[in-house]
Amino acid sequence: MVGYVLKRLVQSVFVMLAVAFLAFSLFTFVGDPISQMTGVETSLEDQARLSKELGLNDPFFVQFIRFIGDMLRGDFGYSFRTREPIGEMLLTRLPATLELGTVALVISLIAGIPAGIYTALRPRGLVSQTILISTLIGVSIPTFVIGILLIFLFGVQLGWLPTFGRSGTVEIGWWRSSLFTAEGWRSLVLPALTLGLFQLTLTMRLVRAQMMEVMRTDHIRFAIARGVPWQSIRYRHALSNTMIPVITIIGLQFGGVIAFSIVTESVFQWPGMGLLFLESIRFVDIPVMSVYLVVIAFFFVLINLLVDLLYVVIDPRLRVRESA
Amino acid sequence: MVRMTFSTAAMALGTTLLCALPVAAETFRWAGTTDPQTMDPHAVNAAPVLSFLNNVYEGLVRRGPEMGIEPSLATSWEALPDGAGWRFTLREGVTFHDGAAFNADDVIFSYERAISEPSDVKSWFASITEVVRVDDFTVDFLTSAPNPLFPGSIANFMILDADWATTNSADLPARDAENHATRNANGTGPFVLSSRDPGIETRLTPHAGWWDSAQHNVTEAVFTPIGNPATGLAALLSGEIDFISPIPLQDVEQVESRDGFKVLAGLETRVIMLGFGHDHDTLKYSDETNDTNPFLDPRVRLAVAQAIEVDTIDRVIMRGAAEPASQLLPAGLSGFSDEHADRPDFDAEAAKALLAEAGYADGFSFGLMCTNDRYINDEAVCRAVASMLARIGVTANVNAMPVRGYWDELRADNFDMYLLGWSPGTFDAEHPIRFLAHTPTERLGTWNFGGYSSARIDELLEPIQQEIDEAARQAMIDEVAGILQQDVAYVPLYTEPLIWAMKDSIDVVQRPDNFFMLRWVSVN
Repeated sequence: MVGYVLKRLVQSVFVMLAVAFLAFSLFTFVGDPISQMTGVETSLEDQARLSKELGLNDPFFVQFIRFIGDMLRGDFGYSFRTREPIGEMLLTRLPATLELGTVALVISLIAGIPAGIYTALRPRGLVSQTILISTLIGVSIPTFVIGILLIFLFGVQLGWLPTFGRSGTVEIGWWRSSLFTAEGWRSLVLPALTLGLFQLTLTMRLVRAQMMEVMRTDHIRFAIARGVPWQSIRYRHALSNTMIPVITIIGLQFGGVIAFSIVTESVFQWPGMGLLFLESIRFVDIPVMSVYLVVIAFFFVLINLLVDLLYVVIDPRLRVRESA
Repeated sequence: MVRMTFSTAAMALGTTLLCALPVAAETFRWAGTTDPQTMDPHAVNAAPVLSFLNNVYEGLVRRGPEMGIEPSLATSWEALPDGAGWRFTLREGVTFHDGAAFNADDVIFSYERAISEPSDVKSWFASITEVVRVDDFTVDFLTSAPNPLFPGSIANFMILDADWATTNSADLPARDAENHATRNANGTGPFVLSSRDPGIETRLTPHAGWWDSAQHNVTEAVFTPIGNPATGLAALLSGEIDFISPIPLQDVEQVESRDGFKVLAGLETRVIMLGFGHDHDTLKYSDETNDTNPFLDPRVRLAVAQAIEVDTIDRVIMRGAAEPASQLLPAGLSGFSDEHADRPDFDAEAAKALLAEAGYADGFSFGLMCTNDRYINDEAVCRAVASMLARIGVTANVNAMPVRGYWDELRADNFDMYLLGWSPGTFDAEHPIRFLAHTPTERLGTWNFGGYSSARIDELLEPIQQEIDEAARQAMIDEVAGILQQDVAYVPLYTEPLIWAMKDSIDVVQRPDNFFMLRWVSVN
C-alpha cells in the first residue's frame, strides 16, 4: 500500500513538471509583459533594462530551469503586475475557489444523486422526462450565459441576492470563509449554482445509467426472485453497487470544478484563483500564470490519488487482490 | 396671529438649519474594469494607477474640472530668470495622513525617488538638472533649457512623506518585489487608504486634516474592480454600486431607460488614428507579390483618408458619441491648431482618382493591424475601415488581436497599417509630436511605429518645448500640424467618447482625462 502511494507520488511529480513545461512554453506566445508593466512614456532603454532584470532575455530553457529551481525551494516569485509574492496571492485566493467548488459539488450531489435514482427507477415517467430534458438544456447553455441570466433574475429583477463579489466573509486564521454568515451564503449561492449545474447533470446521468445497469445484473434479479423487499433491493443492493464508479468520476470531476471555475469566477467577480488567473493573462503576468497552472496540476494529481485510495477502501474486491 | 408668526419663524429657522447642515454623508461604492496595480505613485505610469492615487496623494499642482492647472501643495510658482527653471512656493500647514508635516524635504525626496532607476515616471523630469531646496517652503526646479510646460506636466508627480518612506524601507519604487508603498499609502490628499485587498476591494476614508475644504460628502469610498462588463452593469442596476466607469456603448440605452440611473457621456482626450509603415519598403501582408509599399506615396495615404467616412463610423459604431478628429490631439487641448481643424472630406471618387494617379487604379491588398480589447469597439472600427477601403478597390486584411501582444507586433514592424489611440499625457500638442511624429530614437518617437520622419518636425520639437512666448510657440505647433496633414503621416479618425454610468443620486465631475476624483463626488 505504502509502495503504491509512493509510486503515485513520484508519477505526480513528473505530471507537474510536464504541466510546468507546457505552461511555460505557451506563455511566450501570450504577449509582452514589459509593455504591460510600464507606461507609454517609458524609454526603450528602461524597457530593455527591465526585461533584462526580469530575466526575460534569457533562453527558454534557462528561464524554465530557474522557474523550477525557485519552485523547488518554495520560492514562487513575484507577480509582474502587482509585485506581490505569488505564494501569498494564491493562498489568499485559494479559500474562495475551494469553498465555491465544494459547495457547487455538494449542490450537484444533493440534487443529482436522488434525481439520478428517480429517473432510473421510473425511466418513462413524465417527471423523469422533464428532469432529463431540462438538465440537457441546462448543460447546453454556456456557463457564462447561465451566470448572467441568474444575476439578472435574482440580483437585478428580484433583488434577492448580490450580483457580484464575496461579502460576509469571516477570517479563521489565514482562511477567509464565507460559510459562517448569512451574507456569505447569499453571495455564494448563485456562483455555486452556476458552477454546479454541469456537475449536477453529469452526476444525475451517471447515477441513472449505472443504476439501470445494476438493476439488470444477476444478483439483483436473484434478489427480486427471492422476494427481497423493493426498498432493500433498490437502496441497499443496487445503489451501493452504483456508487463505486460514480465516486471515481465525481472525485475526478472535482479537479475539473476547481479548474473550470475560471468562467464562473469571472462572471460573478468571485475573488478566487480563477479570477486571478484571468487577470494575469490580461496583464501577461507570466509568473502568476505558471504557478497557478502548476498548483492546479497538483490538485488534479492529489485528487486522483485520493480517489484511487478511496476506491480501494470502497471496493472489497480490490482489497482482496492487494493482499493476495 | 402670534402663533402663526411663531410657526413661520420656526419654519424659517428650520430651513436655515437645514441649509447650514452638511448634506447627509454617505458611503460611496464605485467600480472600474481595472484594479490599480500598485499604490506606489512612482512605480507605474499608467492611467488606472495615477487616477486612483490622485485621491490619496497630491502633487505640487493639480488639475481642475476643466483640466486647468491650479495650486495644490504649491501655492504659487514662477519662472526663474533666463529660463533657468521654476520656483515653487509650498503650502504651509499641510499634514500627511499619518500626521507628519509637509515641507520642502518631502518634495526633494519625492523627486529623487521619481528619477531613481526603478521609477517609471522619469520622463516627467527629462529637462530637470537639479532640484534645490531654498528654504523649508521654497523649492527650485532647475532646467537645462527654458521649459514653459513644466508646471503643467507634473500634475501627477505625487509627493510622499520622506520619513514615512525611509522608515518603511520604501525609498525606491518597487520593481521586482513589493515594498511597503505597494499596498500602503501616506499622502496629503483628500482620502486616506484605509484598506487594500488587491484585485478585490480598496477602501478610502476622508482625510480629516486635509488642507482644502472638502466639496464631497463621502464618509467612506469603496472601490471594486469588476472585469466583466455585464456583471458591472448588473451590479449598478441592482444598486450594489453607485458608479461604474466605463460601460460599453451598447449598454447606454439600457441604463438611461431605467428609473434612477443616468449616463454621463463626454469626450476623452484620446484620438484614434491609423498609422502607416513609412519605413517599410514592401507590404508584409499583401496577397499580391508586389515588391513595393504603396503607402510610401502620400497620394495613397490621402486616398485612405478620403475614403473613410468618419461620420458613419461615429454614427453606427460609436452611437454618435465620438467626435471626428483632424490632428493627433483633440480640439480644445492646449496647442490644438485651429488653422488645421478640418479633416479631409469624405470623397470616394477623389480617393479613387488619387489611387489611379499613383498607379494603383486596380487597387492592392495589405494587412491592417488592430487591437480588439484596448479601445471602444476597436475591432468593429477596423472592419468598418476595411469595408470603406474596399469601395475604392483596396483590400485590407484585418488582423485583430489583444493589446497584450499588440505593441510587440508593432515594434517588430508586423503591419502595413495599424490602429492607434493616443491620449497626450501632458494634455499639450507637444506630447504627440514627441512620441508619434519625431523620428524614432531611444527616447523620442518611441511610439512612432511606422518610422515617420520629417527633418523639419525633428528640428521644431526642441524649440516647441522651450519657447516661452505663446504665439511663437503656437506658430511652430501649427507648422508641425500642417506638415503632418500635408504628409498624411497619420489618419486621425475620431476622439473617443468617455461613458460613465451612475445612480441619479450621484453627482460627479467628468474630467476629460478619465481620472475619477472623489473630491467632487456628492451622494444625495
